[in-house]
Amino acid sequence: MSAFFVRFQQLADSLLLRLNHLRKRTANGLLKAERSMQRLTRFPAPIYFGLWVGGLFLLWLWDVLFLNAPERHLLEIAFAHSLLIAMLVVILSFLLAWAAAYLIEIFSDRKKTAAAGVIHFCLNLIRSLPQIVGVLLGYVWITYRIQTGHISGTGSMLWMSVFLALFIFPEVVALLRERIAYFRQSDFFNAMRVSGISEWRIINYDILWKNSRLHILNKMIAVFSSAIFLQCSVDFIVSVGLSTRISAVNLPVTLGSLLANIDSKQDILAIGYSLSHPAYLPNLFFRHLQGISVALVIVFTLFSLYKITNALAERFHL
Amino acid sequence: MMRYQLHIASANHTLVSIDDFQIAPQEITVLFGESGIGKTLISQAIFGLLDPFELEISINGKPYNNYVRSKEVQKLQTYGFFVFQEPSTHLNPLMTLQEQLNEGKLAKTNRQKEILQALWRQPYETHVRPLLQIYPKPFRPSGGEKQRFLLAMAFKKLMLPANGAQRLFIFDEPTGSLDNVYRDIFLNELFNLYTRNPFTILLITHDYSMISTFEKQHTALLSRIHLKELRRINGAQVRLFDFKAEDYTGWLEAQYPAPLAKKGQPRKTVLKMEPTFRVFGKTFHLTREPDRGKTVPLIIHKKELIYLKAPSGMGKTTLAKIIAGLQQAEAVHFELSGIRFDQDAEQKVWRKYVWGKKLAMVFQHADESLNLQANVRDVFKGLPGVNLQDDVSILNALQEMFDQQLEPKFLTQKVAHLSGGQKQRLNLLRALLLHPDLIILDEPLNGLDFISIRKVLDIIRRKMASGSGILLVSHNEEIFDRIVPKQCWYYLNSEE
Repeated sequence: MSAFFVRFQQLADSLLLRLNHLRKRTANGLLKAERSMQRLTRFPAPIYFGLWVGGLFLLWLWDVLFLNAPERHLLEIAFAHSLLIAMLVVILSFLLAWAAAYLIEIFSDRKKTAAAGVIHFCLNLIRSLPQIVGVLLGYVWITYRIQTGHISGTGSMLWMSVFLALFIFPEVVALLRERIAYFRQSDFFNAMRVSGISEWRIINYDILWKNSRLHILNKMIAVFSSAIFLQCSVDFIVSVGLSTRISAVNLPVTLGSLLANIDSKQDILAIGYSLSHPAYLPNLFFRHLQGISVALVIVFTLFSLYKITNALAERFHL
Repeated sequence: MMRYQLHIASANHTLVSIDDFQIAPQEITVLFGESGIGKTLISQAIFGLLDPFELEISINGKPYNNYVRSKEVQKLQTYGFFVFQEPSTHLNPLMTLQEQLNEGKLAKTNRQKEILQALWRQPYETHVRPLLQIYPKPFRPSGGEKQRFLLAMAFKKLMLPANGAQRLFIFDEPTGSLDNVYRDIFLNELFNLYTRNPFTILLITHDYSMISTFEKQHTALLSRIHLKELRRINGAQVRLFDFKAEDYTGWLEAQYPAPLAKKGQPRKTVLKMEPTFRVFGKTFHLTREPDRGKTVPLIIHKKELIYLKAPSGMGKTTLAKIIAGLQQAEAVHFELSGIRFDQDAEQKVWRKYVWGKKLAMVFQHADESLNLQANVRDVFKGLPGVNLQDDVSILNALQEMFDQQLEPKFLTQKVAHLSGGQKQRLNLLRALLLHPDLIILDEPLNGLDFISIRKVLDIIRRKMASGSGILLVSHNEEIFDRIVPKQCWYYLNSEE
């Protein structure tokens, strides 16, 4: 009887081993399939960057062939202006955010609550205003200064970036403070302080540079997207119905203001028309290039930047 | 002999490579080696626990995927057991401890109560049974209790029939959360089971004082215990060496207490702390006896090593952090190098006058107290009063702590890529390069191999001789009990 039980147990064990083997093979197979899918659908950030640049280049090539030269020139200037403003916004946002975050840290650490409170108050004041409203108010100031002759057309781009940065930088402050707060709780922050290493070095070099630069880079790409989006929205709003060539105050032409142009709007409306009249579709690529090119540059840029930030976040587990 | 040739690499670099890793079947292999050298990785690879898709692994020349699927590994897992070094990661937080103790084949053993009783000193009904219904969480039950439940699982598995199969039981730092009393209880139980029915044991540990326990309490098994040490040969290449028990016991025997200052000899006091302080709603007392005798002030002179003792979790590190100005107490009074501090002292005083100048502190977990994203050179940048301007002077300073010849490229290595032992040496050196009046060492021997332990102790002695007072917190009682004279022992006690 006991021999029967031993044999039975051996059989049961062998069956369990086989089941275990089968379970592992199935799991391995599923894992492999999932990874293959990931390889097909996800690309690293440099690939998305390449796709963005390549896509814009193809569009430009198409426009060289089929868009008339004055309109194309306008599109090129608008793109360059928008890009320049967004770049300036990135730089200014970072500088403002770093200064605010560092000062808050130092004032809070040294119990200078009034000084820290002033910075918090200013940040909260900016946050309390919707970004688009704040930037619109900034534009009111810019147009007033242009009218009074204090700002030139080119100088107005700098001021546009300043106002955009002013309403975007609190997001960067939040990230920097979050990173500093996270490492402040760690032994590494205290161990360095107790060794007499200055907080300037710990915060700026060890925390922000060594441990957060990828987070900051990702955030700055997002800031670049926000700047393009905000800029296009505000420029579109202030330019609706106005001619970008003849108006009381001429702001530099940007993608947003070009999109608000009456010709561009007609081009965009043509998309809707071609949905109900499919035979009209080929005309979009030859007769309505200005508006469609502007819209495509904006949408494609925002989409590519979104994919770049996502890819970076996934790659570096941000 | 179970022999393995192993190569484990991540996408970017080799993690560990060994040509001949041996485990003696039906015998006890005790594996020492510095933290992070690859002991856990090798043992997990052998037991088939690593993910064949995450890492690039070859074992005895075969791809790991084939090894994991082999009957040999299936049997190891069916009849053996692996006790992970961190109990919290081993236990499932969604199952009660009772359910986990009876998961799968473990349910077939009906000697659970007997096993648990053997691993607890307190009565089963009042102290163990209530824990069985608990879902393990990071802080409940305690680390020591969780570790004992894991060991109980291993013991339950040991009591199952093996049907003649090879039984490999791997214990990875099984006593890391246990004090010496519970460590000895575990070893007694393990060796009792082994004596009754021998099986293969791989016991991974940093605790060299186990050697003394084997020699004093398990003499009958000495011929079956094989002491091995994993040492780095070149980069990630490691080799297994025999470790002679006499190397440790002989060295320990030769240690002598640091000389006390002669009576009447004037000594500068670097720290004088009132005997009672209050933090986290608890009152703590400093005494000279383990069980709450007369309270005494904590006094540390220059060139003196003071050993602070207390059970794990009592608050030794908290006390160190209070002195270092990193933890605010509810009531405390002390004088550090002539500066008086109390519970209301502001941190700016420490920043301006104390940190790096009057006091330095080595934190117990090197992994957490170093910037892992920095490189080795960065660790020594910005230290006040330390003149390490060029790579040669940094290398010379480092060479004191490392036994192998260091190459200049070591300075550019990312701290995250170093082994735990290497990190601990950087952690120690950063504080020991400074010239403060007081150095607080919190578990300075954590994760070090035997050679490094001796080097670190030499440096501590030199630091004392150069004039610093040292406050030491360590669970390596066997070593420090010999080095620190009894007159320099203090005990920390608390009352709710």
